[in-house]
Formats: sequence, structure tokens, C-alpha cells
Amino acid sequence: MQMSLTADSPVPSSSTSSGDDFAALLDAELDSASDVSPDPEADEVDEDEDSGHDSAHISDLERIKRRKVEVLESTGHQQNPTSDGEEAEVSASLEKDECPHPGCIGGLCIRCGKKMDDESGVAFGYIHKNLRLANEEIARLREKDLKNLFRHKKLYLVLDLDHTLLNSSRLLDITEEEGYLRCPQENLPDALKGSLYNLHFMHMMTKLRPFVHTFLKEASKLFEMYIYTMGERAYAIEMAKLLDPGDVYFHSRVIAQGDCTQRHQKGLDVVLGQESAVLILDDTESVWGKHKENLILMERYHFFASSCRQFGFNCKSLSQERSDESETDGALATILRVLQKIHSIFFDSAHEESLLNRDVRQVLKTVKKEVLKGCRVVFSRVFPTQFPAENHQLWQMAEQLGATCTTEIDPSVTHVVSLDAGTKKSRWATREKRFLVSPKWIETANYLWQKQPEENFPVNLETKQ
Amino acid sequence: MFFHIVLERNMQLHPRHFGRDLREKLVSKLMKDVEGTCSGRHGFIVAITGIESVGKGLIREGTGFVTFPVKYQCVVFRPFKGEILEAVVTMVNKMGFFAEAGPVQIFVSNHLIPDDMEFQSGDIPNYTTSDGSVKIQKDNEVRLKIIGTRVDATEIFCIGTIKDDFLGVISDPSATT
Repeated sequence: MQMSLTADSPVPSSSTSSGDDFAALLDAELDSASDVSPDPEADEVDEDEDSGHDSAHISDLERIKRRKVEVLESTGHQQNPTSDGEEAEVSASLEKDECPHPGCIGGLCIRCGKKMDDESGVAFGYIHKNLRLANEEIARLREKDLKNLFRHKKLYLVLDLDHTLLNSSRLLDITEEEGYLRCPQENLPDALKGSLYNLHFMHMMTKLRPFVHTFLKEASKLFEMYIYTMGERAYAIEMAKLLDPGDVYFHSRVIAQGDCTQRHQKGLDVVLGQESAVLILDDTESVWGKHKENLILMERYHFFASSCRQFGFNCKSLSQERSDESETDGALATILRVLQKIHSIFFDSAHEESLLNRDVRQVLKTVKKEVLKGCRVVFSRVFPTQFPAENHQLWQMAEQLGATCTTEIDPSVTHVVSLDAGTKKSRWATREKRFLVSPKWIETANYLWQKQPEENFPVNLETKQ
Repeated sequence: MFFHIVLERNMQLHPRHFGRDLREKLVSKLMKDVEGTCSGRHGFIVAITGIESVGKGLIREGTGFVTFPVKYQCVVFRPFKGEILEAVVTMVNKMGFFAEAGPVQIFVSNHLIPDDMEFQSGDIPNYTTSDGSVKIQKDNEVRLKIIGTRVDATEIFCIGTIKDDFLGVISDPSATT
């Protein structure tokens, strides 16, 4: 290192002679100093240099001297820097040789190609069947990818399949009433063409949610999208083909049950995206135990009768009624507007420089808080008597939506949420001309991200037996 | 690397094939059985080029099948560490890219792609230099160096690098010029 330094530094030839004299002086100084030096390392360094140059060409006397000058100069600045520097260099070169093995694929390190046997790290089976990545590598990839993504003004969006983007039913479970769905594609009612698929080879029938194609097209402009399903891999791939026939939205980003690192839980650990930039669309909250803050809960889409039964609804399914969700006002269209809003808030805030420090979860929270802002809510006959009201799901939901909840009536209360119009609080609401609504009012606002017209959620008088 | 070598295999033949064209039957069955397969020791058997010898048949007790030891010449393909290969890119993602050289699958991680090439997501994911002059995407041909191989009974998998002189894209079918 010192050699190259000396060689590189251009010393004008005119000054060399005087420099030499000076160097010789310092040389003598240095020798005497090293003689008395209690530090054995300093001695060693000197010896090394001398012996090295004895065996080498003798003509480079000048250079030796100049080197010594440098040695002395640097010693002046810092205590014994030569040995320090050398040590640092040695360890640096060691690190260079030793690959940190950021991950392996098929038992080979992805960086140095050496065979690796340990099963450490997180498996990324959906990218390649034998791929595993170490945690540091995942962090590195996420960080790198985030910058790349922000350059394109995009965020991550993780999408669930069943009941969120589509509804599937086994052919066995198709009821007689739904028999009209079994006919060939060209004979289907116009509304179902291009959204109902009969997948004989999988013994399944799949109905895409209305608006899903537009949704994906628009969302792909704002998000890098993943499919994340608890279904099996083969099923997930088939569904991805239906949703994305051109393979432009998802590429290989389809995560299925086998890729989850925890049973019955979906985790963002297998998503190569920084958690602070991920939004999740799912109809089931419980599977996202660790990532509730990223989640946008979807209203379940039940098209088939079997799906309704599965969730314990006794009502007629959409297929039985031969109707469907609205294309323009359905859940996906509504959520797309919410996503667009979150996206624009995330990117269009005034302080551009802190983009990397922003957290989409905070934005999500803020947007949600706008929904029932200014509402002061009292519950009546909604919670069991002994139940601590603050822990109830509806209470928490209302607070997340920006409403203030209280237990007792006061003049500032704007809404009474009740299951029975005959309670004291309900009667107070009617008398004082406050809104009296059923709990559905909060739930619907939670799904649609919009305050609902109160008159659509009337409360009936409970009939006494 | 390709090798022209002689291999041996015991072929079982059903008695119904015994007759004038027994030898032809044996050869066509051999081709069907071994061409395109992979053995850990020799690599992929690309093509059979000739039959050295067909040994004496041995009747299997109980079945009537006859086993013939057949020596055949064939071309095999086996990648080695340090070898330079030309391969076609099959998939590009943020981890790196996958490429195929015939039957061999090769993964080039983003650690082994030159630092000035950045991953670009989008409709066609690719790695592009900052000035946009070089682009690696699906169906490109690349020249790469093998740095690790894993040979299984039926598959050879390699780790490659393009972070070295004279490696990288050699043809771009999407380019118009």
C-alpha cells in the first residue's frame, strides 16, 4: 500500500536531492527510535522492510528512504498506524475471500457457487423450487428494490384470491338452481361471459369478481402486485392465468400455501418488499396476525351457493338470484379508489426527500380515520353487559374509522348504534333527533371506506316474547 | 463441454422383437431410453452416434425378457466449473436471472451481474446499464462463466457469472438494428 502511494505521488526531480537529505536524517531518527521502541511490532515492520529490499533490487534506495519518511510522518499523526493499517488490510482481504453465502439455490451458493448443505434462511419456493435466502440478503434486496420501486412511483400490493378477487366452487357442489352455469361459454348470459370459467380438469368452477380486470389494470400502474393465497400452488397458478392471461401483472410473484413459513398464517416474510410499503387486500383478517396494519379488509365475495353455505349464510347466493355485484360500485371499484387515494397521499406529500422514511401503514391509518371523523358514537345493547366495551371489535372498528366512542349519553353524541329501538339510549336519540343506526352502519363504512347514509341502517323495535 | 465417449448399457428386450431386425429394435429402444437423459457422472447424453458392440443376450428367468449388454458411442454434454457457456435467458427477476444452455439450467444472481446493471421491473423485467446501452431480458443470449455445478441423477444445475471481461449479452433478438 505504501509502495503504491510513493510510486503514485509525483515528486519533482529537482527537489529529490534535498528530500533525500531530509529522508536520511529521518531515517537515522527512525532507526534509533525503533531501537529503543518497546513496541515489538514496530521493530518487525522495520525488519520486514529491510530484508524485503535486501533481496530485491538495490537500486531503489531512494524509495526505501522515502518510504521511511512516510512511515515517520504517519507515525507522527497517529500511534503506530503501520501495523493497524496492515491488520485492517488483512482482515479486509479475508472478508473478500470469504463469501457470506447470501443464499443458495439447489444447494449452491448464489454468489460463490460453492456447495452448501445447511437449510438456513427463508425458502422462496415460488421464485425457484430450491431457492433459499439469508435474512441479510432479503433485507438487502428489499432495500434495493424499494428505491427502484419509488423511482417508478409504485408500492407493493398483496392480493388474496378466494372471496377477494374471485369465487370458486367444486363442480360437485353446484346446486340444481345454478345448473344454468354449466352450459358452454357461448351460451352463458352476457353478464357472465368472460368472467365465469368452467375448469373441468380441476373439477372447479370459478367466477371472477366484477370489475377485477379493470382493477388489476389500474392497480398495476400504482403497485407491484403479488398473489398470496392459502390455496394450493396448482390452483393459484390456474387462477393467475385467468386473472392475468398476458402474464404482465404477476410474473412469478404467486405465493401459495406451500410457501408460507407458518401454518395457517400468511406472512410478508416471503414477499420481497419492505413492510412499510406493502398494502394487503384480503377478506380474512386472522391470517395476517403480524401485519394487520398493512391490511385492507375486503367484503367477502360469495357468488356460488356452496360458498355461502361454507360461511353459514342461509340466504340465496348471487348465482341463485342470477345477479352479481355492481361493476361500477362494487367492492373492487370502491377499494381501487381507496388505493389510489393512499397512493397519491404517499407520493404527493410536500416533503419529497423523506420518501424512504415514509410508512404506508401510517397513511392507511390516516385515510381510515377520515371516514367517520367528527362522529361521536354511543352503543346500546350491542355489547354483552359484562363485556369491557373498549375491547369490542365494533368499538375498535369505530375508533379506527375516526369516530369517538363513549359509554354514556351526552349532548355531543351524534350517533347511537343500537340493535333495539326500544332502549333508553335509542329513545333518547329519537327524541333528540340524533342518528339511530344499526351496527351494520359501522361495518359497511369499514368495508367501503365511506360514511354511509344513516337512513339506510334503521333500527327496529325488538319484539318481546 | 462436449465429449464423444463410449458407454455401456444393459438393454432388456421383449421376445416379440426377436427376429431379423432385432438389432434395429435394440438400437431404437436404446435411443429412446438414453438420449436426453442425464447421468451424474457423464452429464447429458445428447445423441448416440454409433454402436460399438452388442453382447450375448441373457434370458431372464421367469419373464422371457432377454438382456443384451450394448456398448455405444455418444456425445455427452457436461458443464464444468470455470467453463464459458452461451445460454438463453429464460426468466429475469430481482434476484438475478435464469438461463438455459440446452438442458442445463443456470442461475446468475444479481451479485454476479456487473454493478452498473440495475434491475428494472415492468412488463418485461430486465437488467439495464445506467446509459441503457445493454439490456438483459428474456430470450436474450448471454455468455457466462460457470462458477458452481450441482449434478443430480436427472438434472444439472449451475451457478454462473457475467461479472468478468467479455461476458454478458451477445445477442438481443428484440433489438431492431
